[in-house]
Amino acid sequence: MNPRKPYVRPISKTSWFMTQSRYKVYMLHEISSLFVAIYSAILIIGLVRLGEGEAAWQGWLDAVTSPIGVIFHLIAFVFALIHTTSWFKAVPQAMRIQRGEEIVPGKLIVGAHYGVLAAVSLFVLILAGVA
Amino acid sequence: MSERTIELEVLRYRPEQDQEPFFQTYKVPCEEEWVVLDALNYVKEEMDRTLSYRWSCHMFVCGSCGMMIDGEPKLACKAFLKDYPTGKIRVEPLSNFPIERDLVVVLDDFVEKLESVKPYIIPKEERTVEQGEYLQTPAQLKAFKQYTLCINCLCCYAVCPQYGLDESFVGPAALALAHRYNMDSRDLGRAARDDVVAAAEGIWHCSFVGACSQVCPKDVDPAGAIQQAKFAHGIDYLTSFLPGGKR
Ligand code: SF4
Ligand code: SF4
Ligand code: FES
Repeated sequence: MNPRKPYVRPISKTSWFMTQSRYKVYMLHEISSLFVAIYSAILIIGLVRLGEGEAAWQGWLDAVTSPIGVIFHLIAFVFALIHTTSWFKAVPQAMRIQRGEEIVPGKLIVGAHYGVLAAVSLFVLILAGVA
Repeated sequence: MSERTIELEVLRYRPEQDQEPFFQTYKVPCEEEWVVLDALNYVKEEMDRTLSYRWSCHMFVCGSCGMMIDGEPKLACKAFLKDYPTGKIRVEPLSNFPIERDLVVVLDDFVEKLESVKPYIIPKEERTVEQGEYLQTPAQLKAFKQYTLCINCLCCYAVCPQYGLDESFVGPAALALAHRYNMDSRDLGRAARDDVVAAAEGIWHCSFVGACSQVCPKDVDPAGAIQQAKFAHGIDYLTSFLPGGKR
């Protein structure tokens, strides 16, 4: 008789991500992408409405500036921040840059990303006449 | 040298008599500079000869002492008791693997996966001994050196949720090793490895949780290796649309 009897410990298929804090952080990142996607969809709808004429555009504007629209955008902004920071943190792992015998330090790559983000944001704000 | 008593809660499983694992607590008189492995060795030598666990080098080289220590996959020879001030330490076999006995897990699945990625150089050009060695510059070595440091301790598999949910996933260490050979300037085996590496169970199964790299005791960064491999495949795919591209 085979004396071996390996024991397999059960894993929950539906709540595994609650078992460790690093899985929760990961899930937060994944969920944040949902909000970023909805935000982008609203923006695209706005572009379509703009093409449809002034009344349609005004309707869209009224919707996004309504209390619900503002609350959604505030929440989406927080999730966009979470999404951005968690992605930027992971970039040096996915993007390994080698110069001669040296690997470019991750801090530099992350810093460059924040630099570009700041520059683009400033540009957009100036364009919008806010800054 | 000062001594302190540690309560070691060890998950035990003896297949010939237990239906399922259970915790057994040992009160172990420990020296201050000990690691968890020293405490286990004390139990084995002085208290309970039936306890089973793997170890060999006691210096983070062999990779055989990976186990869950207070829920984190660690090398028992690298887990210092002074980092557990409560005096109570829970030791379990690596998660995501079947338990063979006590702290010993079944490794067959990993060994098969390791073999499947062809972890050896498939040379660009066959050279005879007379033709001499394959040359490589320090910069070429640097491109993959980090990924050679893996000691197959499997801490990364124990924390990878994708492997836990679906063991068909090739997993972090094997994919990092495939990347190590793909990045080697002497190697031309990437296409041969892609059957396994670029399959759905390969790199694309990884969702970049990054947990593997956080626990790796050798800083191999398997998560990074896998994302870089995905990136390389993405570029291949895009350039395949260019004139002269291979599709
Ligand atoms: S990649 Fe790191 S954690 Fe995984 S087996 Fe290798 S050394 Fe261990
Ligand atoms: S990064 Fe990929 S391989 Fe590593 S733990 Fe996450 S899913 Fe697993
Ligand atoms: S005993 Fe060899 S790595 Fe711990």
